[in-house]
Amino acid sequence: MKGKDHAALADEFNKDEPRVNWHDETLWWVRQKRDKAAHKVPEWEELREMASRIKDNVLSNLSEYLQQFEAAATANGITIHWAADAAEHNAIVLSILRRHEVDKMVKSKSMLTEECHLNEFLLAQGIDVVDTDLGERVVQLAGEPPSHIVLPCIHKKKEEIGEIFHEHLGTPKGNADPQFLTHAARLHLREKFLTRRVALTGVNFAVAETGEFVVCTNEGNADMGAHLADVHIASMGIEKIIPLRKHLGVFLRLLTRSATGQPITTYSSHFKKPRPGQEMHVVFVDNGRSTHLGRTDFRSSLKCIRCAACFNTCPVYRRSGGHSYHTAVAGPIGSILAPNLDREKYADLPFASTLCGSCSNVCPVKIDIHEQLYKWRQVIVQGGTAPFAKKAAMKTMNWVLSNPSVYHGAGKAGRWFMLNAPFTVNNGLNPWYKQRDMPGVPKESFGEWYKKNKK
Amino acid sequence: MSSSRDKILATVKGNQPEQRALPELPVAAGAAAPGAAGTDHSGAFISMLESIGGSAYLVSGYERIATILREQYPRVGRIISGCPELAVIAETGERYADPHVLEDVGLAVLRAHFGVAENGACWITEDRMIERALPFIAQHLALVIRCQDIVVDMHAAYEWIEKYVPAASGEGGADSYGFATFIAGPSKTADIEQSLVLGAHGPRSLIVFLIDEGLSDAGFY
Repeated sequence: MKGKDHAALADEFNKDEPRVNWHDETLWWVRQKRDKAAHKVPEWEELREMASRIKDNVLSNLSEYLQQFEAAATANGITIHWAADAAEHNAIVLSILRRHEVDKMVKSKSMLTEECHLNEFLLAQGIDVVDTDLGERVVQLAGEPPSHIVLPCIHKKKEEIGEIFHEHLGTPKGNADPQFLTHAARLHLREKFLTRRVALTGVNFAVAETGEFVVCTNEGNADMGAHLADVHIASMGIEKIIPLRKHLGVFLRLLTRSATGQPITTYSSHFKKPRPGQEMHVVFVDNGRSTHLGRTDFRSSLKCIRCAACFNTCPVYRRSGGHSYHTAVAGPIGSILAPNLDREKYADLPFASTLCGSCSNVCPVKIDIHEQLYKWRQVIVQGGTAPFAKKAAMKTMNWVLSNPSVYHGAGKAGRWFMLNAPFTVNNGLNPWYKQRDMPGVPKESFGEWYKKNKK
Repeated sequence: MSSSRDKILATVKGNQPEQRALPELPVAAGAAAPGAAGTDHSGAFISMLESIGGSAYLVSGYERIATILREQYPRVGRIISGCPELAVIAETGERYADPHVLEDVGLAVLRAHFGVAENGACWITEDRMIERALPFIAQHLALVIRCQDIVVDMHAAYEWIEKYVPAASGEGGADSYGFATFIAGPSKTADIEQSLVLGAHGPRSLIVFLIDEGLSDAGFY
């Protein structure tokens, strides 16, 4: 693999311990809000089961539902495009912009366009893209990718955001008041909404039955962009389809409670037809999803509704930060989706977990995330793409554990060194020693004690 | 383009798992017809709306709504309403060729179809928005529903949409909108250190008026 792996990137994040603690606590607080919201719904577990089964049905009928949506949406006046991969998606968006002779566009949150690296592509073509979700605008101005799919700049302190706004929006230096900064962004982005002729949004759910799609935001940025633009482009992964409109009742009850603990987002907008004089496009993106669908052990990750509950609960995510995952969708779900796209580049991610299972417990569509993490590890090690140190350690461990005399000798030697020469283990070469002390040393092993005490 | 379509559909078809049946959805409790007597969900709706940053007023009718709006928004500037009864305080009944002319709207007052008790949301279709952009671009938003038109949860909400939201043409509910939305409270963000700020890009405040025609105004003045 090229570039730094999760462990190395997490090391960088971990250099600033107070920040790590703050990041950890902030996300845990969001997780607690999720719990409170979920516990207020007595039928919560039934809802999760229903959502999971609806999505199972979607996966088993996906080709039919896609065609059903295409027919219904086309009848509604929406133009459907099919993109086999990221490059084709980006080319389709560019061709629409070119046809309208437009070189500026507003965009609301879409992790799919992050996956496709749309912004970089359009920038190289001379197209100016403004991300309009506040958190996304912050990271865009900072020249960074989002670190969280729901809370894009959760890794940033308000003072840093104040600095970024001072530099780019001309707010007074040193002002880091969230209310003030949000208002500054409101004024800055309102001008963009009013002057852009093309708006791109993501899609939360697309209804096969009616050919409409639903976009959920708290800020209202997707609506401000879409309703003021002459052209609305909505990009969606092909797995975002649901069969019937009434299924939205299930998913909208689960989505935001799982994400932030709110009962629903401020806006759940249902786009069915372009307004008179407007053009509306939906771009279906495959980019590896159809292949992933064929992987029995891993296909259920395509049920994901992108709530990020698994991020907020994950002890590894909370303490390593989103950027350590070096992929558009970080966290536990990202760690089982990314190896599907590029097994070598993301071979480290299934190991970025304690396999504690908390992710699977909070998942609103009941994806067995931690089991898939475990299964990916086996696929990766068998395929020979595991990191070298991990392979060497596993080999040594195998030798030690399969030779009783080596095992006993190694235990004795370890205890002697820790007792008489602690500096040999309490140093930077021992990864266990990072952020924690080694345990106290017992005088004898259980085996030795047992030999002495058995009658 | 069509080659990608065929390729994607063929791969998907080939990789689809075996058939899995759709689950039964819960029978929507209390999805009574509009205005029908049933369980009163207005108390739950109001406390939920207040918890998400909105406010609610139980009123006898439009006269009272006009009075409250004058008091609440004395210097709000341009007011647009979809309610002809509010012509005394608002531009009503107009269409706008270009949504950009709504940029300076201070307050929009629109009729919604119904409220949802479990999350404080109101359902509004585009024929009641004047322009699709209006409920988002206005600095402040007020929605009007009838007090009895509140459903318990989202399952009941979709049943209502299916059965009772009339199409623009006056026909059944299946084709009742080209655009519609649930609005739950004022626009908000917590992207900066999880500090909640009301008024992100859309309205900075949201009032829902619940009209109860049996109510007397006597005590209000």
